[in-house]
Amino acid sequence: MQRLGAKLGFVSGLINQGKAEAFGKTLWRACKGHSIVTHAELEGPLEDPETGEVVKWYVFLISFWGEQIGHKVKKICDCYHCHVYPYPNTAEERREIQEGLNTRIQDLYTVLHKTEDYLRQVLCKAAESVYSRVIQVKKMKAIYHMLNMCSFDVTNKCLIAEVWCPEADLHELRLALEEGSRESGATIPSFMNTIPTKETPPTLVRTNKFTEGFQNIVDAYGVGSYREVNPALFTIITFPFLFAVMFGDLGHGFVMFLFALLLVLNEDHPRLSQSQEIMWMFFNGRYILLLMGLFSVYTGLIYNDCFSKSVNLFGSGWNVSAMYSSSHSPAEQRKMTLWNDSVIRHHRVLQLDPSVPGVFRGPYPLGIDPIWNLATNRLTFLNSFKMKMSVILGIIHMTFGVILGIFNHLHFRKKFNIYLVSIPELLFMLCIFGYLIFMIVYKWLVYSAETSRVAPSILIEFINMFLFPASDTGGLYPGQEHVQRLLLVITALSVPVLFLGKPLFLWWLHHGRSCFGVSRSGYTLVRKESEEEVSLLGSHDIEEGNNQVEDGCREVTCEEFNFGEILMTQVIHSIEYCLGCVSNTASYLRLWALSLAHAQLSDVLWAMLMRVGLRVDAAYGVLLLLPVTALFAVLTVFILLIMEGLSAFLHAIRLHWVEFQNKFYVGAGTKFVPFSLRLLSSKFSDDMA
Amino acid sequence: MLGARCPGGTSAHRSICNSDSPPGLGIPRRAMTAHSFALPVIIFTTFWGLIGIAGPWFVPKGPNRGVIITMLVATAVCCYLFWLIAILAQLNPLFGPQLKNETIWYVHFLWE
Repeated sequence: MQRLGAKLGFVSGLINQGKAEAFGKTLWRACKGHSIVTHAELEGPLEDPETGEVVKWYVFLISFWGEQIGHKVKKICDCYHCHVYPYPNTAEERREIQEGLNTRIQDLYTVLHKTEDYLRQVLCKAAESVYSRVIQVKKMKAIYHMLNMCSFDVTNKCLIAEVWCPEADLHELRLALEEGSRESGATIPSFMNTIPTKETPPTLVRTNKFTEGFQNIVDAYGVGSYREVNPALFTIITFPFLFAVMFGDLGHGFVMFLFALLLVLNEDHPRLSQSQEIMWMFFNGRYILLLMGLFSVYTGLIYNDCFSKSVNLFGSGWNVSAMYSSSHSPAEQRKMTLWNDSVIRHHRVLQLDPSVPGVFRGPYPLGIDPIWNLATNRLTFLNSFKMKMSVILGIIHMTFGVILGIFNHLHFRKKFNIYLVSIPELLFMLCIFGYLIFMIVYKWLVYSAETSRVAPSILIEFINMFLFPASDTGGLYPGQEHVQRLLLVITALSVPVLFLGKPLFLWWLHHGRSCFGVSRSGYTLVRKESEEEVSLLGSHDIEEGNNQVEDGCREVTCEEFNFGEILMTQVIHSIEYCLGCVSNTASYLRLWALSLAHAQLSDVLWAMLMRVGLRVDAAYGVLLLLPVTALFAVLTVFILLIMEGLSAFLHAIRLHWVEFQNKFYVGAGTKFVPFSLRLLSSKFSDDMA
Repeated sequence: MLGARCPGGTSAHRSICNSDSPPGLGIPRRAMTAHSFALPVIIFTTFWGLIGIAGPWFVPKGPNRGVIITMLVATAVCCYLFWLIAILAQLNPLFGPQLKNETIWYVHFLWE
């Protein structure tokens, strides 16, 4: 009875889907069956306001009777963190509340929707100008970064910037400062002073779009020291030339030239100039590629190699018919071994003999004779030719490097270096390797087929020059031993001069004079003052531009003279030079090696692909030729052009960086990089991408 | 004509060979020319000499004049040297090409 009088109570709320079952069980156990739980799932997950996750909710309605059970139920709801909502008892109230809630939901939806629309509009408007805003912000940031590097002067009212400026541009700098002051409407104009300094200025080499690539090649090794000879000037030609010596093929060179021509003619196309990574590298080197292709066409013409085939423009210098006995008088026939039809039929290979009259009719006027392409002993001839060519080119290249060093010494007014360093270096190089070139050319000119049996090997002669063998071989020319002895004496005399000449001279100079300062012309450091707009202050007593520079040039101080260090440096330099002469000369043999590799690869590609395709006799051979030619073209591009091209490029760079620049280049400078808003633009494209 | 011995160069020597053409073959005979040494030397020396020595005088004044002159001279020196080495190496061959017998037949009939 008491039970029936108790009021029916309701609790309604929301609970997490995961906890719903546990909640139900707990309720059942706690209320001992005196409560009824109904629950339904809410459609659509809603966001949990505490954790922010989107979960599924269950709405439940607990009906119980009795006060104490009601407390228990409420406590359990609290423990489970349910969201409890008031549940009215009567049906009308429930309906009212429901309608009110519906209206509220509608209103809230409308408000949210409108807010989102508004937000979208604002963002779209902002997005139109965000790109220019970003650029403006970046520019401002860069300018402020630059301003941060300035320092305040004593009055704290203006900024002082110490800058390096090329002497040729000083006038323009002044004009630019005036114009800037005028355009910004400053009351006090900016001005500049030049102050002398002892610091080493950065190195500026003005380049245009053509020379920039070559300058980058040199700078990658090391930026030149201030005012020293710039090897990039000569690299413009020697680098593509040495590349072409290693690459030498008319057809491949022409393809490379066409590719580079395409890049050059389209260099204003925006997609090319902003291309990424690999294409960007090709694009930046388009002028280098152009020259490399051109020179490769020339060396291909000289090597007589066009897709591994030779071109017969002038008629070969070798005459096969003259080897036949029918072409000669019987008197001559008895002296030499000549051919007739049966001889040819019985022997698979026969060698032409240049000592037979009429067989060799003169050197081919442009390059290698085309008959060598048909010969089986082609490599024997080509190897000898290419090895000698590599050595000759290498020695001339290195000698040129030493001569450039002389220009360096002349410029820095250290004439003693010429007599004590450059001349001994030149003598050393020329007496040994210049003599080698002489022997090579002498043998080419003097020895022919008649004397081929007694023709001495250049290599053996060269080695014997140093070994003084007891046996008296014929030698290359009469009087050879005396000439070689004289050259060796000159070399032996120049080595100690190279080792000790400069240190001793400097020591004598230092002890003969009281003070030995570095004789360099003072560099001018440009000082620029820029005045801020100080409109807050009333009258400003900012100093006029005639500020006296605090200190003029600093005193010339006596430099420490460390004989041991100078001696060590010179000894190391000399040893490096002398040993380097030998090793670097041999290093130039890579010109031979790579051109041989290229020619052989090209030959293999032709023999394996095109010849197989061209030899098919049947009618379908024409159709077969299409994919074969396509494959030949693809492999030519990838293996011969790209792979071999990269390889030859790398080796040509190595020859320049090590063998050539070792002889004169110091490369210890810093690059002059002025502030330029144009440099920021590359950062924009990077960030936008 | 024997192989040239001295670098002074032999004079150009053109001769039409009167060898018997095989009967029945109507292949026209190419006039067999001997290659001189002096003529190519003169031609190429003047060519690269024009480029390397005379060319620099004609470069217009401008900021790039020095670069262009250096390029011309370097090109002339490199290319001339390369060609010279090639022709000197073949001036007095110590041995001849070794040909397969098929090649010999081919060359005999087609080139000569």
